[in-house]
Amino acid sequence: MRIAALAGVAISLVVARGLPAQDARLAARLDKPTLIAVNAIVDSARLSKLPTEPLVDKALEGAAKGSEGTNIVVAVHQLSVRMGSAKRVLGTATTPDEIKAAASAMDVGISVRDLARLRAAAGKQPVTLPLAVLTDLVGRNVPIETATNLVLQLARAGVKDPDLALFQRNVRADIDRGADPTVAATTRARGLVLRGGAPSKPAE
Amino acid sequence: MPDDELNMRRIARDLRASSPRVDKSFDDRVMAAVRSLPRHARLTLWSRLTAPRTVTVKPLGWSVLAASVALLAIFGFNRAVDDVRVASKPIVAAVFPKTGAAAVKPPQRVQFVLVAPEAKKVAVVGDFNGWDAGHASYQAQHRGGGVWSVTAPVPIGHHRYSFVVDDSVWVTDPMAPRVMDNDYGVANSAIVVEEQK
Repeated sequence: MRIAALAGVAISLVVARGLPAQDARLAARLDKPTLIAVNAIVDSARLSKLPTEPLVDKALEGAAKGSEGTNIVVAVHQLSVRMGSAKRVLGTATTPDEIKAAASAMDVGISVRDLARLRAAAGKQPVTLPLAVLTDLVGRNVPIETATNLVLQLARAGVKDPDLALFQRNVRADIDRGADPTVAATTRARGLVLRGGAPSKPAE
Repeated sequence: MPDDELNMRRIARDLRASSPRVDKSFDDRVMAAVRSLPRHARLTLWSRLTAPRTVTVKPLGWSVLAASVALLAIFGFNRAVDDVRVASKPIVAAVFPKTGAAAVKPPQRVQFVLVAPEAKKVAVVGDFNGWDAGHASYQAQHRGGGVWSVTAPVPIGHHRYSFVVDDSVWVTDPMAPRVMDNDYGVANSAIVVEEQK
């Protein structure tokens, strides 16, 4: 009996230590029911070893935009699901940055299947920057399929992160100068692959 | 019916028939005798804690206790480490991979510009400032001619942001790509902040 009581105390301490850390930003911006629901999702994500800051950010964004509490909870939950899917697809060794980048990519329409293809193409290399570039290309009106294939080609060609970042800058510069996004991305990617991963000098 | 059982029943019947009658004062006399027995000295808390006693070890109970203590130690340690990580986490939430000394990169100064001739107040909100339109560092200043601008720190990486005009109207940056917002129905702008060479 005494041992059971001690065990109970120990377990209580463990549970107490495991309680979610309340985010003051959320408490200040969300009504109580929404706060409770969002905290539950955040805590669940934490236990699943998912990054929690994007979830908090998503809730804050909803609050700032004056969205209904239910919409905020749904949005945070969906982001949590996307991150969970990304982690499953990208593997258990996936870093929080990769999960965040993957969730952002999925948010603009990149499929789980494409995430898996990118993971396979990149091998053991991190896919954070390739995913960020992919998201950026789609955001700049390069069609999803085209952007995905280009980034896959670059990953299979073994293009390193610095070269990929330069590719992204060059494409942005081309688009800002009036080039068609698809043409700019395709041309720059082909040139990069043909040169074996070394991009041309930065666009002035 | 076996003989043994018959005998037992007969004995029981005889005992019931010969049960002694107890007078009404019997209970009182028994209780008085109990109260007259010498009482044990009342144990103080200290004597309870220090007095040697026999401990019965039950494998199941001790296993539960040991597992609980181990869980407390491991989980508590991990939480402590997490707390330290959170406390030392830079305000930068960079999307780019972190390696070595590049793990902590300072935010870059980014200029945001919006032309809004009718506006009385313009602020920048985004995932770099908690979407807080009241954040002091992200309040745009009127530069004349309806041009509002602010130069503020933004961590390296991909970010979503927007302008908030007069605390109520959300306006995307016309100079930046738009990111559709399927969650809240208000589009954002996208920005990629890189380390300045």
